[in-house]
Amino acid sequence: MPSPDELAAEFDMLMRRAGITVPAERRATVLAGYADLCDQIALLHNRYAHTDEPANVFRLTPPEGA
Amino acid sequence: MDTAELSIAAMGQALRDGSVTSEQLTRAALDRVAAKDSALHAFVLVTRERALADAHRADAELKASIDRGPFHGIPYALKDIYDTGGIRTTCHSKLRLSNVPAADSVVAAKLTEAGGVLLGKLATHEFALGGPSFDLPFPPARNPWRVEHVTGGSSSGSATAIAARMVRMAMGSDTGGSIRGPAAWCGLAGIKPTYGRVSRRGVFPLSWTLDHCGPLSRSVEDSAITLGILAGHDRADPASADVPVADYRATLNQGVSGLRIGMPRAFFQTAPAVTHDVLAGIARTADQLRAAGATVEDITLPDYALFAAAGRVIMMAEAYAIHASDMRTRLLDFGTITANRFVLGAAITAADYINALRARRELTDAVNAALSRCDALLTASALCTAPRFDAPVDALSSASPMQTIPFNVTGHPAMSVPTGLASDGLPIGVQIVGRPFDEAMVFRVSRAVEVLSGWESMALPV
Repeated sequence: MPSPDELAAEFDMLMRRAGITVPAERRATVLAGYADLCDQIALLHNRYAHTDEPANVFRLTPPEGA
Repeated sequence: MDTAELSIAAMGQALRDGSVTSEQLTRAALDRVAAKDSALHAFVLVTRERALADAHRADAELKASIDRGPFHGIPYALKDIYDTGGIRTTCHSKLRLSNVPAADSVVAAKLTEAGGVLLGKLATHEFALGGPSFDLPFPPARNPWRVEHVTGGSSSGSATAIAARMVRMAMGSDTGGSIRGPAAWCGLAGIKPTYGRVSRRGVFPLSWTLDHCGPLSRSVEDSAITLGILAGHDRADPASADVPVADYRATLNQGVSGLRIGMPRAFFQTAPAVTHDVLAGIARTADQLRAAGATVEDITLPDYALFAAAGRVIMMAEAYAIHASDMRTRLLDFGTITANRFVLGAAITAADYINALRARRELTDAVNAALSRCDALLTASALCTAPRFDAPVDALSSASPMQTIPFNVTGHPAMSVPTGLASDGLPIGVQIVGRPFDEAMVFRVSRAVEVLSGWESMALPV
């Protein structure tokens, strides 16, 4: 897990890239939310093999029997 | 006659036997709104003239033997994210204060076609996500059980309007629990139908693949009647499913004898926010269902945390895609809670989103597997009773007092139904989950819970 400083730098970079200016007085609140979100995202990584496809892989023709 | 205590079915009967008119029902409802809403803030717009015109038409049609069915002449209201042609639709946001749609959402059109009487547009959390907030163009709706407590969100005005006996049914939307949460905290029935069951066309999206439209209502039967009107295929909604619609009322009172009901106890038993009252309520419901002839047994699903993570990542990524431009240029026009939440969507990577969609496949398969062995699931909806407005809440934390998002991730139909009052005098409920497109079973089990718990005879607070 990144350190709090690394997480803050990462967050600032992501906001810059998105073109979003978070008001200074809200930064600490949103940064804490970002840390919480990162904890949740970590649950989703390193879990699936290349054969595990996402739920939105689509089918162009009806399945047999449909 | 206290028309506020009449169910939709009873209003229908009274309209047809001539003991009441739709105009009388409508004027009584408008009077209740006028008397109570200055303290409760359920409505952001009351469409009085439209309501009376709808009512006059309904009465004239019945007199002419034109009967549009069980919703004919019934007053209702819409969460203010449903487009209403010629009527302002704001999403409770400064950004859309002047938005007047040209056409009705499919849901609004269907309710009009069914003879419903539109009383107005209801408060919501901004864009169905950010709230309760005091920095928006309209105040947050308050909980009629105790006005210093929240209703839950985001279908906050919908819950308030029903719990304050202004209407029997109001439309909500549910992306992570926005129908079932307010239903639980206000002592109401609220169903999130199967994904694809009700058209989302003309409803402002929060997250396309998690959004569901559905009713909140005073009783399970009211919801069953409403969903019977709304369910059906819409070729213009890419998520809409072409699956036959059952007669939900036909099986409503068949009871639970012989049914198998699974209980994912690990979801709620040790959740940090769960209260003794909620655990006792679930246990009591399980015992009542067993006594009524059902088999209730523990089942195992994947960790709740995985459902919550997948749901939050999908929701934040999709919501950000909708609002990215305004986040860059009009951030301060959003309420603070809304903006703080939407901003996080900018931090989600493509890999994060795709892994959430891989989780969605795993989790949907797991719930389907459980439901291949059970007719329905019994679990928690809210983990506690409605908190006070002044209780400290971390709006950006993943710790939620609701356990509703799993079935937005998987798309299964799920209903919150009240079971009683907690020791603090506020309502608690349980959640009933069914197989895809088997809302009939969800209604049937929920109706049994409603009867067995004795909630039917519970008086509302105002």
